[in-house]
Amino acid sequence: MALLQCSGLQKIYGRGDTAVRALDGVDLTVERGEFAAIVGASGSGKSTLLHILASVDRPTAGTVLVDGVDVGGLDATRAALFRRRKVGLVYQFFNLIPTLTVEQNIAMPLLLDKRRPDPELLRRLTSTLGLQDKLGALPGQLSGGQQQRAAIARALCYRPALLLADEPTGNLDRRNSAEILDLLRRCHRDLGQTILLVTHDERLAAQADRVITLSDGRIVSDRRRG
Amino acid sequence: MWKDFSRSYLARNRAAGWTVAAAALAAAFFLSLLCSLAYNLWVYEIRRITQEEGGWHARVTVAQDGGQPDETLQKLTQFANVETAVLSPAPAAEGSAVIELTFRDRGSIYRDLALIRDALALPADAVQTHSTLLALYLVTDPQDPSPPLLLPFLLAVLGAAAAALVLLIRSSFEITMQARLHQFGILASIGATPRQIRACLLQEAAALSLAPLAAGTALGLAACRAVLAAVNAAAADVAGRLPAVFQLHPLVAAGALLAAGLTVLFSAWLPARRLSRMTPLQALRDGPDPAPAARGRRRRPARLLALLFGIRGELAGGALKAQAKSLRIANVSLLLSFLGFTAMLCFFTLSGISTQMTYFARYQDAWDVMAVLPDVPLSEFALTQQLQDLPGVESCAAYSRADAACLLPADAQSDELQALGGLSALAGSDAVPQGSGWLVDAPVVVLDDASFLAYCRQAGVEPSLEGAVLLNRVWDSLHSNFRDRAYLPFVQPDLAALPLAGPDGSPLGELPLLGCTDTPPALREEYDQYTLVQFWPLSLWQSLGGRLGLADAGGTNLRILGGEGITLAGCEALEAQIRPLLEQAGYAFTIENRIGEQLANDRMIAGAQGILGGFCLLLAAIGLANVFLNTLGYAGQRRREFARCLAVGMTPGELRSLFWIEAAVLAGRPLAVTLPLTALMVAFMLRASYLDAGVFLARAPVLPVALFAALIVAAVALAYALGARRVLTGDLTGLLKDDSLR
Repeated sequence: MALLQCSGLQKIYGRGDTAVRALDGVDLTVERGEFAAIVGASGSGKSTLLHILASVDRPTAGTVLVDGVDVGGLDATRAALFRRRKVGLVYQFFNLIPTLTVEQNIAMPLLLDKRRPDPELLRRLTSTLGLQDKLGALPGQLSGGQQQRAAIARALCYRPALLLADEPTGNLDRRNSAEILDLLRRCHRDLGQTILLVTHDERLAAQADRVITLSDGRIVSDRRRG
Repeated sequence: MWKDFSRSYLARNRAAGWTVAAAALAAAFFLSLLCSLAYNLWVYEIRRITQEEGGWHARVTVAQDGGQPDETLQKLTQFANVETAVLSPAPAAEGSAVIELTFRDRGSIYRDLALIRDALALPADAVQTHSTLLALYLVTDPQDPSPPLLLPFLLAVLGAAAAALVLLIRSSFEITMQARLHQFGILASIGATPRQIRACLLQEAAALSLAPLAAGTALGLAACRAVLAAVNAAAADVAGRLPAVFQLHPLVAAGALLAAGLTVLFSAWLPARRLSRMTPLQALRDGPDPAPAARGRRRRPARLLALLFGIRGELAGGALKAQAKSLRIANVSLLLSFLGFTAMLCFFTLSGISTQMTYFARYQDAWDVMAVLPDVPLSEFALTQQLQDLPGVESCAAYSRADAACLLPADAQSDELQALGGLSALAGSDAVPQGSGWLVDAPVVVLDDASFLAYCRQAGVEPSLEGAVLLNRVWDSLHSNFRDRAYLPFVQPDLAALPLAGPDGSPLGELPLLGCTDTPPALREEYDQYTLVQFWPLSLWQSLGGRLGLADAGGTNLRILGGEGITLAGCEALEAQIRPLLEQAGYAFTIENRIGEQLANDRMIAGAQGILGGFCLLLAAIGLANVFLNTLGYAGQRRREFARCLAVGMTPGELRSLFWIEAAVLAGRPLAVTLPLTALMVAFMLRASYLDAGVFLARAPVLPVALFAALIVAAVALAYALGARRVLTGDLTGLLKDDSLR
């Protein structure tokens, strides 16, 4: 069953002679429960695609359906609510709120909806991510790996339909990178989480079930493991 | 290269340049205004004291021994530090002369005076210093345990205001530097040294600030002149007031300009130094993340906000905490300005009510025009009848006052007073025991004979010039407060003679009494508590006063009453008739009328309120300028912060609400602190002054306080609305796509 469907997706920055075609007719379907990686060289359009899927950016043309929602047609408020409830975003540079504790950062999407996180889910999530002792700390008091784990916990806290990760290990050392990738795999395996991972590292991408390669804004290959 | 770099940056970022230029102009303006106002106030005080009391620094009283004091004068001028030594025109005790001295170096006056005292073998009380004048030069007696602290206090206020202005300039530089961190990070990453970046910032600061500094200083001096002219105009009617004359001392102008200039350079240097301590990567990422806040006490405000507004309150509280340092001037200035403004208005309102009740209302029927002839004894004043005959004059009384005391035997106290426990029960330590009775102050009011006889008739006493009338009342302080006094008879009502005494209690003789009364004559006089006031006719004073050894009465006071419901014009018409009569007789006098004095008093209070209110507005303006600088200046940082929230799924409305929560905290804090504090202060003052709360509430300065609060709230809201527009209208998602940002 398809969770994500893109058809004829285009994104053009600028106009006239200075126009840059970041995405040029992308057609993509991701099934529920799939772990897919998008790879490509710098400037290939992979981050642009991810931001459109997350409703952070709008396509110039084409449609994007995530869990039945037409993401391209959302206004700013609906896009924010969609982002909060349907997708979890993990960035290379974590984007945690420095003035909130780790626990508050993790629970933030729920708190914005005036909901409290399920204590059992929070406990399981944080112990799985090794953050149970760091809940009262501020992001600035954590290592890079711990911050990224907190960002992943935040993204998963709402049980999103789709987890989008943009170079989640790009700012981490080898050991932390391996840990984060292992975590993503466990989320996929144990929770059945649909994950779309953007990376330029072919070795990381090889850990996913499916590897989609972008070049000049087009999908040039789509390989499934096994 | 740096010149081109700065020029191109400023050409493309005019707002940043304007921010610095406006801050430099405002700071130079306020610094020069404050400094020149302080200087002119200082000069004015010296002029006033010199005119009223003389410009001498010290006075030495020497015995003449029948000869001239020339020899002493010569000795005094031989002291190296003595600049002048002249005979004082002030009267001196018989057989002595007073010499007035001025010194070259005021700082060593007290040391030199000790030497002079030793050299001339003078007793300690023969040397007097002009402490009020010397205090203005910060010269105080080293032996004085409580030297005058007004000038040091005013200098501290001036220093605090100047420091606030200095911090304002610093903030503006901090903000423009913050906006350029990324740019300087790039420069540093390609090899620009911290020294080069510092030089660049200093050059920019100089280029942007020189003209505004000069213009601000000139405008500040002009504003000072305008303020003095306004004060002179407002106080034009105040009798005997020395008008202020604007004085421009080049050192003051240069000092203000130099202070502002140094501040600008220092303000540019500080962020440059901060920058040099950052790694290029930190600079590229717009500086390090804020230091983790300490847990516990410091997190409480955010908890309160979290309780009220949930996670949005937590975020807004965190943002406010992160900006705590840069918003410190705003927080302190807004709080002090609103607190000062509210407290001042409440104080003046209470003081006005009190003055109205205790002075203008009490003396409404006691006088309309009052003339004081300080050098004319009552016995030599001969115009009473002429004044009484003037058209429009209902009554004219000429009177003078003298000090006296009496010995009051315990059994001479009234039955009511004795029932309460006697004088000591009411007067406490003010009652001076003497033998088996009391030594009581008994001031004498000497009335012209006609007025005295009229008073006898009014008091129900057989009119006669052979005795005095005693004001027989004492305040029952046990059963009433000073605002609403209840009186008891002081002495037995049939007391026929009052045993007068000297200040040491030695008997002087008996004063025959015509009778006692509990109502004083209609005079503009206030009588001390626990005293027995005696009203004498002038003829009795002339025949008996000297014989009893009573001290001379002072000058003559003239109390003139016009008709019922007299207006200001009526009072002025009376004044216009009285003035030439007194002038033709060659009397030196001062004259005033009740309604004119009340209006002058109102104007003086309005003037004082205007000056203090202006100072509060100035403080508020400094604070609000800081708020605008923060909301508009840190837009780049805020955009990054808001982009993070956007990524988590905050809606634009929720993002905007963060601004409103921050604005509400910033504007609400001074109100939340001030209003309960003021309520407490007013409650305390009402209790201390026995005023009815309803009377205060009816005249409470609600409107001006509400307007001031509205000004603060509106200005802070505008600053945040502009800040929100600047931060939220751009493409925040772009920041999320920029990998150089965290």
